[in-house]
Amino acid sequence: MTQALLEVQDLHTVFATKEGTVKAVDGVSFELSPGETLGIVGESGCGKSVTALSIMRLQRPGKIVGGKVMFKGQDLTKVTEDEMRDIRGREMAMIFQDPMTSLNPVFRTGWQVAEPLRLHHGWDSKKALTSAVQMLGRVGIPSAAERARDYPHQFSGGMRQRVMIAMGLTTTPAVLIADEPTTALDVTIQAQILDLLRHVNREFGTATILITHNLGVVAGMCKRVIVMYAGRVVEAGPTMDVFAHPKHPYTWSLLRSIPRLDAERHEPLKPIEGLPPSLVDLPSGCAFHPRCAFKVERCSRDVPALEPVGDTQLSACWVTQAGTELKGA
Amino acid sequence: MIGQSRVAELELPGAAVEGASTRPAQSYWNESWERLRANRIGMAAGVLIVVLALIAIAAPLFSLAVTHFQPQTIDLGATFAKPGSAHLLGTDELGRDTVTRLIYGGRVTLGVAFLTVAVSLTVGAGVGMLAGYYGGWLDDILMRLVDTVLAIPAIFLFILMSILFRPTPISLALIIASVGWGNVARLVRGEVLSVKQRDFILATRSIGARDVRMMVRHLLPNVLPVLIVAASLGVGQIILIEAALDFLGLGIQPPTASWGNMLTNAESYFFHSFWLVIFPGVTIFITVLASNIFGNAIRDAFDPRLK
Amino acid sequence: MLAKYVARRFLASVVVVLGVTLITLVLMDRTRGTYVPGIDLNPSLRPEDIARLRADLGLDRPFYLWYITWIWGVLHGDFGRSMIDGSTVMSHILDRLPNTLELTATAIVIGLIVAVPLGVVGALRRGSKVDHTMTVVSVAGFAVPQFWMGLILILVFSVTLEQHGLPWLPSSGAFSAVNGGDVLDRIQHLILPATVLSFFYTSTWSRFIRSSMLEVLSQDYIRTARAKGMSERRVVYLHGLRNALIPLITLIGLELPGLVSGGLVVEVVFGWPGIGKLAFERALQYDYTTVMGVTFFATLLVVAGNLIADVLYGILDPRIRLA
Repeated sequence: MTQALLEVQDLHTVFATKEGTVKAVDGVSFELSPGETLGIVGESGCGKSVTALSIMRLQRPGKIVGGKVMFKGQDLTKVTEDEMRDIRGREMAMIFQDPMTSLNPVFRTGWQVAEPLRLHHGWDSKKALTSAVQMLGRVGIPSAAERARDYPHQFSGGMRQRVMIAMGLTTTPAVLIADEPTTALDVTIQAQILDLLRHVNREFGTATILITHNLGVVAGMCKRVIVMYAGRVVEAGPTMDVFAHPKHPYTWSLLRSIPRLDAERHEPLKPIEGLPPSLVDLPSGCAFHPRCAFKVERCSRDVPALEPVGDTQLSACWVTQAGTELKGA
Repeated sequence: MIGQSRVAELELPGAAVEGASTRPAQSYWNESWERLRANRIGMAAGVLIVVLALIAIAAPLFSLAVTHFQPQTIDLGATFAKPGSAHLLGTDELGRDTVTRLIYGGRVTLGVAFLTVAVSLTVGAGVGMLAGYYGGWLDDILMRLVDTVLAIPAIFLFILMSILFRPTPISLALIIASVGWGNVARLVRGEVLSVKQRDFILATRSIGARDVRMMVRHLLPNVLPVLIVAASLGVGQIILIEAALDFLGLGIQPPTASWGNMLTNAESYFFHSFWLVIFPGVTIFITVLASNIFGNAIRDAFDPRLK
Repeated sequence: MLAKYVARRFLASVVVVLGVTLITLVLMDRTRGTYVPGIDLNPSLRPEDIARLRADLGLDRPFYLWYITWIWGVLHGDFGRSMIDGSTVMSHILDRLPNTLELTATAIVIGLIVAVPLGVVGALRRGSKVDHTMTVVSVAGFAVPQFWMGLILILVFSVTLEQHGLPWLPSSGAFSAVNGGDVLDRIQHLILPATVLSFFYTSTWSRFIRSSMLEVLSQDYIRTARAKGMSERRVVYLHGLRNALIPLITLIGLELPGLVSGGLVVEVVFGWPGIGKLAFERALQYDYTTVMGVTFFATLLVVAGNLIADVLYGILDPRIRLA
């Protein structure tokens, strides 16, 4: 087993709001191996983006109040801001959801893509730009040399996302974090971008964390997946296993609520009852228990720890840890 | 925005996601009023304006009961008196009492300001609503008209008009309003355009409501916050303009007192009676300041996001 | 695409100018009939004199003819003649215009130099004591009457200093009549009026920059910039400010009429020989035609300034330049 490239240990990030302290990330732990593709899946507000931002120490105005982020032997929560800046954009890159607003409208794309090279490698503009144009070509932008002189608004949505990806990869980082990279795009373009991410992962060996609320995206792209709910990891494991036999009621309910080609024709979709909890005022014990069809008495008392369930999966559920299979009407 | 309808008792599901409690949603106006009341400085400013207005209205009472002077009473034996017991803030070159003149001047200045705002708002809102609601060529023409009116440097125009028309408080108000409505029209048009897109307008239209009814009953309440803010901030700006005109000698003419024309000959007072320069100016400053603070407070109350 | 944009803005400007001509002429029309501005000044005007005056001014011709003649004149640089002494308005304007431009340009420059750093600081240190102080000062700055501020500054920096034998600043004119006129002398005369004129705008602009910066700094591309690992300074000043300054250009354009208006008052208070003071002097003499000519010219200045601002905006914002 290879040494983990990135190891998040019991991370806690909070936000102070008028209504109270929001525990956006409430004890999240996971590992990322070199070259691996990991998906982080969950509903809006479950803390997946904040987790990613915390890894990059971009979580302001939130505060990291506990845990460690081990990367190449360093705890990123403890390094200085200067050291962190050195890592950001060079060893770890992040791309965001909306490529239209994520690129600076007043600078040319080539210049923006080349910027990390000028900043981190100290290259002069010409050398950096040449490399940037090459990268733009490799992510599938035709006539890259001319296009590099264009501004972001002159690109289509899909092309802009390619530019973002190129920008993240210019320094061949060890880790690429993609926060909902396809959510703002048309379905057909989504597939292209996912292809690109897969291709990039193979060709550059960049470990990729893909954050999304779309299970289909994860299925197509990630070897492993972690499922988050209310700021906590509720399940983790190889994607195929988790999808085939989920070991947490939340994952199980999620999978039943999406349309599937192999479902019975007249089976209705089963949405999850209830509402996601307020992150200021979490339920006692397991955060999911108010909406859980399998809950037992212990669920409302004790917060379940993430433990192995089955051969390859981890699950934070008293019920499945006790050996119960998840089946239902 | 829900407008004035009584949706106070609706429980909005999904509010739980953000961690907010499921309080019933208050009407927009109530919420805004609450926010305004919480802003103590803003409220103080508002109270100050009301007080000043009341004093101005009750000017004759004041001069009778408090200062015991008339604004036009000349007393050549007491010219340039220092502030003291006889004349609280001194006298000017004709021995007229400063305090009394300030109070009566307030009457004129505030009167012109409020009248101007009233006219500007009415005309501006009307034009803005028509332009925004109907769009098309009417919008183009009206907005070109606004552009034109706003392009002329105001003071030049006012000077020009004061040659043509005798500057009485009313004519002065109309002169200033003849330019002022432009900005209001733009503001209102902007609001109308953004409200027009909202679904409830389409819904109301689809049940066949007539244009005028649409404008008055549905657009107007939504445009009102913008108007109120514009009014409050406008009072301050107009006071400054009016004072400048009076100062130049092209507005309210002496012997009628106004804060501006009390400063017309200030340069000659400098050496010996500099307080005559200070007091009217400070009065203008405080009044405009209060109007601005109050206007900002109202704006923050209606739309706290803008902070 | 820039050419198209500029052409559109230019066309809009022309429309506005035409509209202004109509307005001024409607005002002038007021003088048709037997009315002659300033008639109350000189009750000894005989009917023949009045008739002659009006004939000179072309007031007895049909309106449209008059309008066309006037436009024709303007296109040739003829802005009319004074009612008092018959001198051409244009000659007076040419005489005084450089002074007004000098004053206005200096005021704008001062305004920018002060407002931009203040606004940026306010945005970066939002909610801090510095920010609150600056907001208070700004709000106060809006409320001060320009003419009064001028008077007070003269009082302090000219009169009082001189009285106490300290070096003092001149209180009127653009340069000293006696052995003056060099750069230093002109600067001395320029300081007070330019400060007064710029004060109001410094307040407005710094608040605007502050809110523009705050908005820009909350944009996604700022987050991207930080994620690329650059220093916060670079994020704020290169990626942020560049975007925040663009709307300021439009604001300045919008405030030009006010700036020119304010210029008039400042010119009068400080005896600054510009076109504003010209209009004022002539207004006191009821020299209607001169005032109108100057007003129209001042409007042209404003429209031209706006056009320049629009073009600048188009150049600086690539979304416009390459639509």
